[in-house]
Amino acid sequence: MIKPHRYCALGAEISSDLVLPELQASDSACDALVQIQQGDHGQWPSLEPSPHSTPTLRLAPQDWRLELEGIGWFRATGGERLEWQRWDDSVSDRDIRTFAVTSGLGALAIQRGALVLHGTALERDGEAILLLGHPVAGKSTLAWCLLQDGWRLLSSELVAVSPDGLVLPGMHQLKLWHDAAVALELNWSQLPPVRKGLKRYALLAQDLDCMSQPTPLRLIYALNRAKADSGQEDDAEAEDESEKISLKASDDFSQTTALMRLRNQAFHARMYRGMDAEAQLFMQAAALARTVPMHALIVPDEIKAMAESLKKVDLMQPESMQQRTEATAEDASND
Amino acid sequence: MTEEHSYWYLASYPKSGNTWCRVFITELMRLAGDNPGEELNLNQDIETGAIASSRLWLDDQLGINSCDLSFSELDPLRGGAGASAWLFAEGERFHKVHDAFKSPDSHGRPVVSTTGCSGVVYILRHPEDVAVSLSHFYSWPLDRCVASLLDPNAALVQGERFGGRQVRQYMGRWDQHVSSWCDQNQLPVLIMRYEDMLAKGLETFTKLAIFLGLPNDENLILQALENTSIDRLKKLEDDVGGFAEKPAKCERFFRSGRTGEGAERLTLDQRIRLAKGLSDAMTRFDYGEDVDA
Repeated sequence: MIKPHRYCALGAEISSDLVLPELQASDSACDALVQIQQGDHGQWPSLEPSPHSTPTLRLAPQDWRLELEGIGWFRATGGERLEWQRWDDSVSDRDIRTFAVTSGLGALAIQRGALVLHGTALERDGEAILLLGHPVAGKSTLAWCLLQDGWRLLSSELVAVSPDGLVLPGMHQLKLWHDAAVALELNWSQLPPVRKGLKRYALLAQDLDCMSQPTPLRLIYALNRAKADSGQEDDAEAEDESEKISLKASDDFSQTTALMRLRNQAFHARMYRGMDAEAQLFMQAAALARTVPMHALIVPDEIKAMAESLKKVDLMQPESMQQRTEATAEDASND
Repeated sequence: MTEEHSYWYLASYPKSGNTWCRVFITELMRLAGDNPGEELNLNQDIETGAIASSRLWLDDQLGINSCDLSFSELDPLRGGAGASAWLFAEGERFHKVHDAFKSPDSHGRPVVSTTGCSGVVYILRHPEDVAVSLSHFYSWPLDRCVASLLDPNAALVQGERFGGRQVRQYMGRWDQHVSSWCDQNQLPVLIMRYEDMLAKGLETFTKLAIFLGLPNDENLILQALENTSIDRLKKLEDDVGGFAEKPAKCERFFRSGRTGEGAERLTLDQRIRLAKGLSDAMTRFDYGEDVDA
């Protein structure tokens, strides 16, 4: 029997029959809390699905199932076990792990009671910032720029925060779209695609500076992408050309706004609801909103402008950035 | 599926009157409501429903990051997404769609959910006028717009190299798009010609209101039509400082609204190409007049 691979991510020791280069390897001798292994979806017990289920996503308390046609079946149970099965032999390990380490591990972390958010977290000088935003908000591009400036990656795509406010190391991988890779002058032809055929590339831990220790969360930024050629995000400041080329931070959100924003950025709110964990989400988000300040961060849409503007500010110091009006900050909280 | 959760599609090739139709529905419901005092606000009130190609919506339904799937992998999944009572956010019942009903990648299935759907309003407009409107909207030369209407692979793609907030919307050739919706038999369909919405407003919009189960009192329809005339919409667009669905380079979303611009602006060659390439559908919907080949 092949010895399973060991990792540590989202606060759990993991034993896996898949190689998962997105996760931090572990040499811990203690028993793994989470098992990732191949299963047979035909053997899974029938489920009384929550009304929040969809044809793709079947949900019940402590039971999460994903059926992705053409790719495979996944099941996370009890916060401890993630099973996967290929759709057919054409499905690669990379296809499987793409969904296992994101939605699958996220579901397990929710089952274990963690606060899991759509975001990317980075560390510098022992403190963490969290960039919140949905896919295509620009988190990974911004994170790559920060990594060039001495920051270390804690987790991308999904971020777990412990009850005592620590960001737990998670996904040590950045996914960059082709256009971002070109704008950042990366040698994209040498980068592996996230999955075969996608014009989106994976930068794995070996190519990134990653942080392996849980890190206190100091600041949260809710990302808003300013449109390069439109005034739509700009509101009253539409005339201000610097809007399009510089990073801006708002004043602190009110706790209520921060709470709403955290709830909106939960890693798949539907999963929380379908697994009966919405009360847990609310309590944890409220606690985080009380203790960690949140600002809107208006990011230039144009990638080179984003990279340039980062050199002029310190993300640990929101006041180092041009301020946004409170009204706009509240707008930015509006998904 | 209860009546409360029923939903409808407003489907069209782009620039065919879909937005006008949504604004009309919004206005009709506002007028029929308890407090019709305030004027319609284009950007706040037009949220009748999410566009079916929204990436955020798909991510929520599928439980994954849809950026990790190719467009051809997504198309067969899209029709299954949302086949439940929890389809769209509460209160959002009319959903804009620019996709053709099926795509070459969708394994013969619709790219939109049909479960629980009450029906589709399909809006079509003379392809010559669509070409002119596309040209203004996307700042494209007219010839490119004509070619796009004739392209069997035409699709709205924000980008497969940078993500985008919507997934690819396959449209195909204009006549394929029309036929994909008008000839499908999975959803009840009301076909509305833009030209009839303009020339026979009361009759056409009354049929729409009846089809959607909305109030259809003649005075309400006439008032809603008056409030959503092109001149009123232009004023409302000015009032909100630009309609949110307008691309940056496009001067204004609500521009002329009239018919026949294509015949004036397109060259004879461009008109003939459209007439030849799209002849069956154009004849079927009375768009086949007097272009000399």
